[in-house]
Amino acid sequence: MGVLVSLRWWLVFGVGMCLLPLVVSTGTLRILVFAQFLAIFAMSWDILSGRTGYISFGHPFLIGIAGYTTAMLTYHLGVPLYFSIPAAVVATMIGSIFFFIPALRTRGTYFAVVTLAFMEVLYHLMQVVQPKLTGGTRGLSGLPTIILGAVPNYYLSFGVMFVIGVGLWLLIRTRLGTALSTIRMDEDAARSSGLNTTKLKLFAFMLSAFVAGIGGALYTHYLGSIAPRGIFDISFLFSILIAALIGGAGTIVGPIMGAYFLTLLLEFLRPYLPGPERYLIYGAITLLAYYYAPKGFHNIFGLLWQRLGALGRRE
Amino acid sequence: MTDLLEVRDLTKRFGGLTAVRNLGFSVSEGESLGLIGPNGAGKTTVFNLIMSELRQDSGELFFQGREISKYPTHARVKLGIARTYQVPRPFGEMTVTENIRMGMMPDDLWQMLTKGPQHDAERDIGKDVGFSEREVAMYPGELSMGNLRKLELARTIAAEPKLLLLDEVFAGLTVGEIAQISELLVEKRKQGLTYIMVSHDLRALAPLVDRVVVMSFGAIIAEGTFKEVIADKKVREAYLGQ
Ligand SMILES: Nc1ncnc2c1ncn2[C@@H]1O[C@H](COP(=O)(O)OP(=O)(O)OP(=O)(O)O)[C@@H](O)[C@H]1O
Ligand SMILES: [Mg+2]
Repeated sequence: MGVLVSLRWWLVFGVGMCLLPLVVSTGTLRILVFAQFLAIFAMSWDILSGRTGYISFGHPFLIGIAGYTTAMLTYHLGVPLYFSIPAAVVATMIGSIFFFIPALRTRGTYFAVVTLAFMEVLYHLMQVVQPKLTGGTRGLSGLPTIILGAVPNYYLSFGVMFVIGVGLWLLIRTRLGTALSTIRMDEDAARSSGLNTTKLKLFAFMLSAFVAGIGGALYTHYLGSIAPRGIFDISFLFSILIAALIGGAGTIVGPIMGAYFLTLLLEFLRPYLPGPERYLIYGAITLLAYYYAPKGFHNIFGLLWQRLGALGRRE
Repeated sequence: MTDLLEVRDLTKRFGGLTAVRNLGFSVSEGESLGLIGPNGAGKTTVFNLIMSELRQDSGELFFQGREISKYPTHARVKLGIARTYQVPRPFGEMTVTENIRMGMMPDDLWQMLTKGPQHDAERDIGKDVGFSEREVAMYPGELSMGNLRKLELARTIAAEPKLLLLDEVFAGLTVGEIAQISELLVEKRKQGLTYIMVSHDLRALAPLVDRVVVMSFGAIIAEGTFKEVIADKKVREAYLGQ
């Protein structure tokens, strides 16, 4: 019962989004599909970086492992999706060990740079090593899709995002979630409180990779193609980081809000900003968010809610 | 009495500085030991070594007869050693009770996930160290120095240690707060807690310890009851010399 009460906003959100296809165009739904995939990636980033403070600049590395695994399995071997997608998730979790090992020794900026380097390395590897397998610079296209049409894909991406969102949101409310955040605040003090921070970090990395793996595999089959430049792309990385940051890192709800906001904003601005100007937008939003809402929108809504509550009580 | 902790020939160097030099002492079960010495004597470094927050260059550490040098920090806590920090290090974005919660965490992730926090126990520990009902819901940023020290103590007590390392728990506390913490320590001792107390406040320390070890420049210069060491010439020189 208590769980249901705390989930009431999720229920409202879920019902609202399920009704949306009745009122908006399929064009808008297609945009929202991108927002929902971005939300999955941003949540994956958030459960690792937002919670534990190990800032990943290499999330496309994880997403790329998932995408390429399922792409190659289906393209070359004709493996069915119900097998290739779980395989991609497992591969991503194994790949995340590449992130975890430096996290045993480095923190902060060093860790961020190492993850960025992994992304870059994979970008080049995918193009030169075994181009027959990976499709080289062009990548692989003509991959099988899970379902067809804007509406089914909208529901699929929303459903997956929603389940992941609720799951992670409940998780950060447990003692385990609190323990993960002690790593961000003071890892040494966490250890001397008796927390096995290595185990906790491994858990956070695996969970983050699990989510990135699901998102990456589904996204690849939604697009029907994968190419190094689309995945291991700084613009893609920026979108993930900014969605999480402007929404409010560490909150799970924040990255979802941030993903919808960023996707819709960029779509709205698209006619005015055809090319690399979008980087300016990334910079501008980040600055604005930093100055006016350093804890993200998530917090603005929280504050508004408190204000409204205070007004209500006064009357 | 058996030794709860034995420190044997411990040495720690920072570059050219030997912060701890061939140090050896032991604490028996139920005993309380004072560890004193002038600023920079190496007291906090000894605690860091016991907790594995620093690695010794040489020497051994025995806890309940077991050599623990290979144990990482959290494993030492699980064995039953806990410490407070001289400069309080609370988790800044957590309330007092949430900070205490971190001291009570199980080792198993599944239990962390499925078993809820013990709200009553957390609040009781908070009250034991002297927090009011209102204060246990506050964040570290809103607490006075005295309250931050209490929080350090509360979080370590929550881990139910057999051996507690207290680093300057009285600094910045009022006379009333010192009395309150002292009372709590006396109470905990009756329940079987062993502790090593570092304090510059010798008057507060004296009634709380059975025996005192005095350090200066990383080495032990005197050992005995409080009265004995205070009367010692080398000790007086070390304290006056600074
Ligand atoms: N991490 C470190 N790196 C380099 N030097 C250190 C480090 N920690 C301590 N020291 C040095 O080792 C010596 C012992 O320091 P320590 O903090 O153990 O002294 P202390 O007895 O606790 O002093 P105080 O009473 O001032 O707390 C000092 O000279 C200090 O500067
Ligand atoms: Mg000290």
